[in-house]
Amino acid sequence: MKAIWLAAAALALTGCANVEPWQRDVLARPEMSPDAAPLDGAIDDHIYFSKEASSGGRGFGGGGCGCN
Amino acid sequence: MKDPVPSVSAAQRLSLSRSPGHWTGRFTAMACPCEILIEAAQETLAARILETAAECAWRIEKKFSRYRRESVVQRINESAGQPIEVDDETANLLDFAATLTRLSERRFDITTGVLRKAWTFDGSDRVPSQDQLDALLKCVGWHKVLWRRPTLVLQPGMQIDFGGIGKEYAVDEAARLVEDLAPGLSCLINFGGDVAVRNPRRDGAPWRVGVEAADNAGAAVRLVHLQRGALATSGDSRRFVLREGRRYSHILDARTGWPVSDAPRSVTVAADTCTQAGTLTTLATLHGAKAEAFLKKSGAQYWLH
Amino acid sequence: MSDKENLNAALAAATCALLGATNTAPVQASEADRWSFDTALLYYGESDDRVKDTSAAISATRDFSDERKLGLTLTADTLTGASASGAIAQDGPQTFTSPSGRAVYSTAAGEVPLDDTFKDTRFALNASWTQPLARLYTVSAGLGFSTEYDYTHIGANLLLARDFNKRNTTLSAGVSWSQDGIDPVGGAPLPLSQMLDVGNGANKAGSESKDVLDLLVGLTQVLDRTTILRLNYSFSDSSGYLNDPYKILSVVDPLTGDTIVRVPASGLQGPTGVYRFESRPDARAKHSLYAEVKHAFGAPVLTTAYRFMSDDWGIDSHTAEVKLRWPIGAASYIEPQLRYYAQTEADFYRVSLANGEPLPQYASADFRLGNFDAVTAGLKFGRSTSSGSEWSARLEYYQQSGDAPRDQIIGNQARRELYPDLKAVIAQFSYRFRL
Repeated sequence: MKAIWLAAAALALTGCANVEPWQRDVLARPEMSPDAAPLDGAIDDHIYFSKEASSGGRGFGGGGCGCN
Repeated sequence: MKDPVPSVSAAQRLSLSRSPGHWTGRFTAMACPCEILIEAAQETLAARILETAAECAWRIEKKFSRYRRESVVQRINESAGQPIEVDDETANLLDFAATLTRLSERRFDITTGVLRKAWTFDGSDRVPSQDQLDALLKCVGWHKVLWRRPTLVLQPGMQIDFGGIGKEYAVDEAARLVEDLAPGLSCLINFGGDVAVRNPRRDGAPWRVGVEAADNAGAAVRLVHLQRGALATSGDSRRFVLREGRRYSHILDARTGWPVSDAPRSVTVAADTCTQAGTLTTLATLHGAKAEAFLKKSGAQYWLH
Repeated sequence: MSDKENLNAALAAATCALLGATNTAPVQASEADRWSFDTALLYYGESDDRVKDTSAAISATRDFSDERKLGLTLTADTLTGASASGAIAQDGPQTFTSPSGRAVYSTAAGEVPLDDTFKDTRFALNASWTQPLARLYTVSAGLGFSTEYDYTHIGANLLLARDFNKRNTTLSAGVSWSQDGIDPVGGAPLPLSQMLDVGNGANKAGSESKDVLDLLVGLTQVLDRTTILRLNYSFSDSSGYLNDPYKILSVVDPLTGDTIVRVPASGLQGPTGVYRFESRPDARAKHSLYAEVKHAFGAPVLTTAYRFMSDDWGIDSHTAEVKLRWPIGAASYIEPQLRYYAQTEADFYRVSLANGEPLPQYASADFRLGNFDAVTAGLKFGRSTSSGSEWSARLEYYQQSGDAPRDQIIGNQARRELYPDLKAVIAQFSYRFRL
């Protein structure tokens, strides 16, 4: 797993993309932000945390609930 | 302000740094911190823009500061009744000041400077005597001046200063020169809180300008998104007189020689040019408690505190 | 001419004379929004009168100058309904002592036992602060607190991000720590102890606690003008009391698979079978890898995400998610959403415990530790208003289907329902506005 991670990081850092600040018109759209719908994400995490054995991934592991 | 800035050392007084998505250039002019924000550009271009804006600010400061030995204003103030011939730029500023006096029904006047001998705006309650003011008021009033472009004759004892005009004019001049240098590039010119932007940014994002709160100097309380145009703020956060519970601003009403009372602590106006915005803040403040009514009537976008 | 026109015209003319003919465009300025609010109302309802959860959340974000940001989120939810206790169905009715130890509840013949004594209200408050640190760094710190009848949680987290490569690459690293206190209704049962008659609390202890430490490293990479990739690796280490204090296992005859019958002490109410409380290890280490790609092809935006999770309880899971945000006109969009989840069972997952055999160290019949897969299909509709607010509605259907491990099924268990499907409807309404 660590190998995959390091490979991915290395790939990114070699600069496979070079998008200039003024070319960020699309990336700057709110729906392209990773936190486009923060409450939706929090609600999903909470539901799946209480119903499944896995949690987190997108961010920290969620939890803080007696539901699991 | 008091030590002259030799242009040879100018480069040392400039700082240019990379910020997220833009360049930030800084220098000091007209006794206040100045800042130039330049959207993504080559470093050499950003440096030239910063130099151009700073040279412009320093030139105007040198030429029009009433504290400067060699300034035009000092030459005029020391003329003691003798006719003085002025250059085009000075003449344009004098014409503009005369218009403001007319538009403000003589509340605004560039000859009120002598009254500062009596008023010290240090937050105390020291107030000059009416006799003292009356004596000084003899030397106040644009109508006492003989102005026939390009010749100006002040009465002996009279003085002028371009406070309330000069800095805003410098911002617009710098914006013009930067536009000539890099047409279409979005730059934010900020001379001590007076701001101008000629072009919107290519990434569509606005420049974010913090508007200083009057009673909390240094901390931004309002954030204004500026795509293009200008903002000017007049405030008395540090300069005021408190007397019998009333707060008098440092802006003097030329008709009475007294500071304006009950004016908003700070007035920010948005307009097409910084000169227009600055004029509106000054005129509004001169209306004291009726500042907001004045601004409403002007139709300009404003923020009061 | 009005005064206004007089003044403006005179001022414009004077300015023009001073500055020369400038071709400045009209000013465009607006006060920045100071607070933005995200609010949501959620209904989660399982079929067959199982768990129902109604919750409300409000999240407020305050933007300061210099990209400093304060976030506050308040959530309240109410949970009611029945959830599977872990005991298996029988040919006859079954009676259990409720978690409080003060009453009993019963399950009809042939039905999977559900404990319907659940009712809880939870309040959670989270606060976060984000600000730039030096030129390319951003730091974000958060605090969380939640409370419910039998559970309290406090947590803190810190995340540091650094931009590289003209901000096309962001690397982040974070740590989160939390401490939870569990104070189960009727006390925390001793692991693997037998369910006792009403009024007998001999196997119940006081409150328990657990600590969770999360470490996260993340990479966000701009792939091209329209594509952004996010990769996260996270490690989570839980220690302390990790049991569900309300989950039990049926103790069965090793040949027939039927639950051993028990008679309550005379004059007392109590369980009619032998049931033991579950026992999980007191530590759990989870590794997860998360990848997300967002791509805009024209106006529509496609989001795909995949997560792999593996822990030292023997659970592996795969999660895949796809969302397609499709604009309708200038102000609306629909977003179909699809999610698939599959997990393997924990090493200590047991359908039941065979009577007479030595007790294992760890055992749980909690379906959530079993082998199942789940599908969520949903649709979201959003619309922005002229004032800049946005509302959205989301409707989802969630279904879990699991299997009991074949080699664990004993005798008559094969003809009974051991792992009922879970079906739930999720409805959410959200409104976002600014002040």
